[in-house]
Amino acid sequence: MSFAAGSALRQMSRVARSWLPFFICIPILWLIEKNLAVLPDWEYAFQNINHIGIAIILAVSLNLVNGLTGQFSIGHAGFMALGGYVSAVIMMRGPEEDPYRLFFIVAVLCGASTAALAGYIVGKPSLRLRGDYLAIVTLGFGEIIRVIIENTPFFGGAIGLSPIPHRADFAWIWAVVIITLLVAKRLRDSTHGRAFLSVREDEVAAEAMGIDTTGYKVRAFVISAFFAGVAGALSGAFEGNLAPQSFTFVRSFEIVAMVVLGGMGSITGATIAAVVLTILPEYLRALANLRMVIYSVALIVLMLVRPRGLLGTRELWDFLRKKLPPFKPDDRAGALIDVRSATIRFGGLTAVSDFSLQVKPRELIALIGPNGAGKTTVFNLLTGVYPPTDGSIRVMGRDTRGLAPHDIAHLGVARTFQNIRLFRELSAYDNVRIACHHLTSESMAAAVRHGDLSVREETWISDRAQELLNVMGLSARRDELAKNLPYGEQRRLEIARALATGPQVLLLDEPAAGTNSREKIELMELIRSIRDRFGVAIVLIEHDMKLVMGVSERILVLDHGVTIAKGLPREIQSNPKVIEAYLGEKYAKEHAAQIAAAGGPA
Amino acid sequence: MTEFLQHIVDGLSLGAIYALIALGYTMVYGVLQLINFAHGDVFMLGAMVGWYASARWTGEAKSPSIWGAVLVALFSMIVCGLVGFVIERLAYRPLRSSPKINSLITAIGVSFFLEYGGQYVFGPNPRAFGVLPRHPNHVYAGINIGYVDVVTIVTSIVLMFVLQRIVFHTRMGTAMRAVSWNPQVAALMGVNVDVVISFTFVLGSVLAAVAGILYASKYPSVHPLMGLMPGLKAFVAAVLGGIGNVPGAMLGGFLLGLAEQLVSGYTSSSWRDAVAFGILILILLVKPSGLLGKGTTEKV
Repeated sequence: MSFAAGSALRQMSRVARSWLPFFICIPILWLIEKNLAVLPDWEYAFQNINHIGIAIILAVSLNLVNGLTGQFSIGHAGFMALGGYVSAVIMMRGPEEDPYRLFFIVAVLCGASTAALAGYIVGKPSLRLRGDYLAIVTLGFGEIIRVIIENTPFFGGAIGLSPIPHRADFAWIWAVVIITLLVAKRLRDSTHGRAFLSVREDEVAAEAMGIDTTGYKVRAFVISAFFAGVAGALSGAFEGNLAPQSFTFVRSFEIVAMVVLGGMGSITGATIAAVVLTILPEYLRALANLRMVIYSVALIVLMLVRPRGLLGTRELWDFLRKKLPPFKPDDRAGALIDVRSATIRFGGLTAVSDFSLQVKPRELIALIGPNGAGKTTVFNLLTGVYPPTDGSIRVMGRDTRGLAPHDIAHLGVARTFQNIRLFRELSAYDNVRIACHHLTSESMAAAVRHGDLSVREETWISDRAQELLNVMGLSARRDELAKNLPYGEQRRLEIARALATGPQVLLLDEPAAGTNSREKIELMELIRSIRDRFGVAIVLIEHDMKLVMGVSERILVLDHGVTIAKGLPREIQSNPKVIEAYLGEKYAKEHAAQIAAAGGPA
Repeated sequence: MTEFLQHIVDGLSLGAIYALIALGYTMVYGVLQLINFAHGDVFMLGAMVGWYASARWTGEAKSPSIWGAVLVALFSMIVCGLVGFVIERLAYRPLRSSPKINSLITAIGVSFFLEYGGQYVFGPNPRAFGVLPRHPNHVYAGINIGYVDVVTIVTSIVLMFVLQRIVFHTRMGTAMRAVSWNPQVAALMGVNVDVVISFTFVLGSVLAAVAGILYASKYPSVHPLMGLMPGLKAFVAAVLGGIGNVPGAMLGGFLLGLAEQLVSGYTSSSWRDAVAFGILILILLVKPSGLLGKGTTEKV
């Protein structure tokens, strides 16, 4: 407990620090504006510098969607046009003089909000689509926005709008550039940024970690559209006119080229590419006719030679990182999973029928059965990947019908995947940190402001992730990319990631697959210790009967989607139906006596 | 009523061209799950090659005939087939195992390369195109039916039947269907996947060349950016019918041509571009797999 005054002071200093870059930059920008930009000799140079600024805003905002979130939008110019036109219409009806530019700010915000709204309307339905479809839809929307503007006399039709009051100068444009960069960087470094990345890496796994993937896609899209709108408004107020011809597909493509060239997902990369691609044409004026040809060849060659862009997903600031202290796990208990007569059919095929399972706290249950028995399908049912055709599934007392996978993850069910689904291009550390996402409550705004809660939560997430990596023996591998870990460590990382969601039930889908018999025994020990340490119930899928006999307290046997046996390991071992499923009917009959003797009273 | 029927005729003629282009999109998507953005530009290239060929051999000055037109079309088909082969070989094949977004970016790059490279060579201005002989329009009950419209519709329908036969009644067609189902398994069964994919690109490009010549004859002009809009609209047609589905592409093409002609006929022609994208968005929201397509879900 500290003095109220002390904590208030600390609070103030944190707020001050979070706005520091801004406070430093404004006077500098203002000085440059007053002393240099007004000189006639510098007019041409500053015209280019301002174009660069607008290009940076566009590239960095598109990078949020195309780079961080891994969606592919090629209609950015449409949102830019919308922001530009709406703000221009407002400014042209505004007062002659605008000494403090308050009216200008309002107009820009109106334009940007309209663009953001359009982003929401476009994004909400179309972001359900996969990459290339999304590309075409965004392209289509961009074109529709342009066609509408071109056919609306209010917006000046094909001739465009002019004169728009010259309100945006060097200082204003670059102040917005700095805001855009700060927002982008802080979002990226926050738990929200990792949520965006997880969507890019693997949507199914992200859902399983409790991340609302559709929600995050829409959010990325809306924020991106907002900044595109700001860029459009600035462009109009800087040039003094707007024409629909400057917002065609070609404009969108230039922005895409910047993001791709810089490295999909790298803010610094997008910035550098925006600078280069804006200056380059100025020096290639002699080759003006060949400009687009050069662009396209550069893009093709880059994709063939360096498909991740110049900087890849790395940032220039990635070289500055800190060390972190340990943390304590929290221990909770409650009612867990209750499945009653769940059945699922795919067309005519009944994959799982009449499946019932109750998971009590701290229990260790094994789900076994031959290939194609429907074990993974059971996990997919429990985690909401597939809804059951019949029957009910309750998690923590709540019916999961209609819940998305991330909702079920929130209820306290975490899983691993049979075919490892890590976020391959992210570090081990980030993989685990993403899974903490749904336990946090910081808002995106707080992440950008570096608010009090967001700072505390970031520390908590880091501690938790570090601890989990320690438990799974992966602390030395913290900063390695998941795809570079050896197979066994990838499996363990997946378990760490699942544990990070703070589950009460952990579903492990063949964690021992691909390991040798000694490793398997070690793994089973580890699973037991996880149960004891974190107090979670565990449901385990495994092929190897012998292995699960030792570790589990209860066993369910599936065959062709039907539960053929359930009970204690000893009972299962001697169950003729199980032996038949595993070894075939003939063998079971021939060796009936032998089996009865071996499995009977042990 | 006469006006309505007139729009129907014009719509069918336009739709036939969209359908021909859409077939190329659909076949490539079927085998590669790639949207070949450059397809619309291969279509443009077809018209452009046709322009050069007819200027040299059979142009306006040298009294165009239907046989001259066939010759020009064949030449253009061969050139476009080769270009399609080269594009696949150089730009798409090296990226086949990398993330789809990379192929998509490359496809856009190829598309821009053809457009602006074409602009550099050909010049940005439209040039008159007259490879078909001029005939007065037939007029039945007040409905104008152009000679070009008749040739377009007949050619497209014939080509679609040929394509249907290729896909369903030849060894290569069977191999194409196998690859589209699962390339790895097809390869294990002895299908040479590379050859099949090359063949698909060539076939699609050949159809695009024909479409290009028909389109250029209909609006008798050629210019380097003429492929952009018809290309995108044909893609919409392919999605509308169910991408990857050959009869779907035809259906989508005709429906889109009709819709566009009716809207631009009864309102203003400046809205015609918005119609196609409106339809696209609608179909993706209501039935993303298209009218004749089947839905799929990702396996976990």
